[in-house]
Formats: sequence, C-alpha cells, structure tokens
Amino acid sequence: MTKQEELQGILRELKQALPELRSIVVASTDGLPIVHDAADAPRVAAMAATALGLGKRISQTTDLGSLEETIVRGNQGYFVVYATGDKGVLAVSAPADANLGLIHLEARSYAARLAQVL
Amino acid sequence: MEPLKIVVAGPVGAGKSTFIRTLSETEVVDTDALASEEIGKQTTTVAMDYGTLHLGDQLLYLFGTPGQDRFDFMWDVLSEGALGLMMLVRGDKPEDFGAARRLLDYITSRHPVPYVLGVTRQDQPPVWGPEEVAPFFGVPQERVVGLNARDPRSAVGPLVRLLELMVDE
Repeated sequence: MTKQEELQGILRELKQALPELRSIVVASTDGLPIVHDAADAPRVAAMAATALGLGKRISQTTDLGSLEETIVRGNQGYFVVYATGDKGVLAVSAPADANLGLIHLEARSYAARLAQVL
Repeated sequence: MEPLKIVVAGPVGAGKSTFIRTLSETEVVDTDALASEEIGKQTTTVAMDYGTLHLGDQLLYLFGTPGQDRFDFMWDVLSEGALGLMMLVRGDKPEDFGAARRLLDYITSRHPVPYVLGVTRQDQPPVWGPEEVAPFFGVPQERVVGLNARDPRSAVGPLVRLLELMVDE
C-alpha cells in the first residue's frame, strides 16, 4: 500500500467515525493538500496551514504550551485544524449542531495516526 | 507620533522574513513551516512575520506576508489599515519579476498606499540593480531601491525612502 492509499484509508475511516463532518482536508504544514474530500481543497489547505501556523505562534507567545488545535466557530458551523505531527495539519469542517467534544476525541486520535504515516 | 503599519510583500524567497528579522528591534513573530516543495530554502512563512523598529522618533510596525500565491488571502488580511507597502523582489532572479509586478498591482489596486520596490541581494552579483528594475516594472526610479536584506544599514534604506514618500503623499 502506498503512503497516499494509507492516508486515504485513514480519511475514509474518519468519515465513517464522524459522518456529520462536511469536509476533511489533510495538508502539509506549508499548505499543500495531501488527501481530502473537499471541492476547494487547495484553498482550504492553505488556510488550514495559516491557521495552524498562527495558532502555534500564539500558543507559544502566550505560554499555552504546544498547540493541539485551532478552532474557528461561525454561527453556521466549525472549522477545526489539528496539529498532525511536525509535517501535517488535519482540517475538518462541521455544522453548528455537531458534537464538538466527540469531534475532538476522534480527530485527535486520527491526527496521531496520520502523523505516523506522514 | 502614531505608529505606522507597513506591509512587507513579495514572491517566495524575496527576503521578506530576513528583512524583518534584520530590522526589528523587538523579538520577531514568525510563522515558518517546513517547505514541502522545492523553493530553494528549507522553510516558508505560512501566516505572517511581525517586527517593530524606530526610524528617528517614528515607530514602524512591519507585517510580512507569505510569498506563495496560495496564501493570497493573507495579503488582504495583513494590508488592512497599512499606510505603506514595502515590496521586495530578488534582484538575481528576473524570472520572479512578472509575479512581483502582478503582486504589486494586486495590493496597490486594493490598498492604494505609497510603496517602494526593494531589489534584494545587491551584495550577490550578478544581480539586477534598481535602475535596471524600475523600467521593467514601469515604476518611477525614486520608488526602486537596492538592498541586502541581511545588512541592517542596507535594509533600512528602502524603508527610509518609503517613509519619505508616505510623508509627501
């Protein structure tokens, strides 16, 4: 199995675990999409890398320790970017009525799996 | 005197982060990530760089943008409220001039502020000098200044010119 296939497999599992997710993008920390199910993946990948990069710096500067995730909450939903090892970011988008606690629980563990493959 | 916000923009590898690190009097806020494509360096800015310095009594805030086009949304975010634009381009990489020209048009059309075009790597010949780059960009000679972004005395030159233009306009 290639790295790409392995990552695709993990992405499929994450979609099954959290069917309410609107989109999932795995990208490099410098903003290039790696695997995704989003129509506008290049743009989302770049924004996810920006959000995570800035989040990391804010976390350092304000003594929050190492960054786990950056959350954007709009009145119609969430966009959450999880740190995925040194090289990657995992961005998920979910509707406003989604269970954010459950999303964190699953996405963090999937981010750890993705990090091992990246 | 009110602090002035200046945006530092330019194609990837122009020397924006170096420029801000060289000039800032305060600890620089940077957002480097490992580069996963071949861009001639190990890391790249994904969100912004931030530094501050004084020119005389005037406090300047420098906001550096990411270089790659995919981060174009940050150009607008960081240009908000800026009073000047420091555009950097590598003098030894004329293939970047087209992209830099488009970027200059993009930002100045949305945020009509005074700008200076800084031509970096003047210490590493063969390199295009400011007098050669100005006609290529079709901008007045007085707006194009050569610099070495690693040398504080050289890097401050284009900022001084920008400040003069900001006072005049």
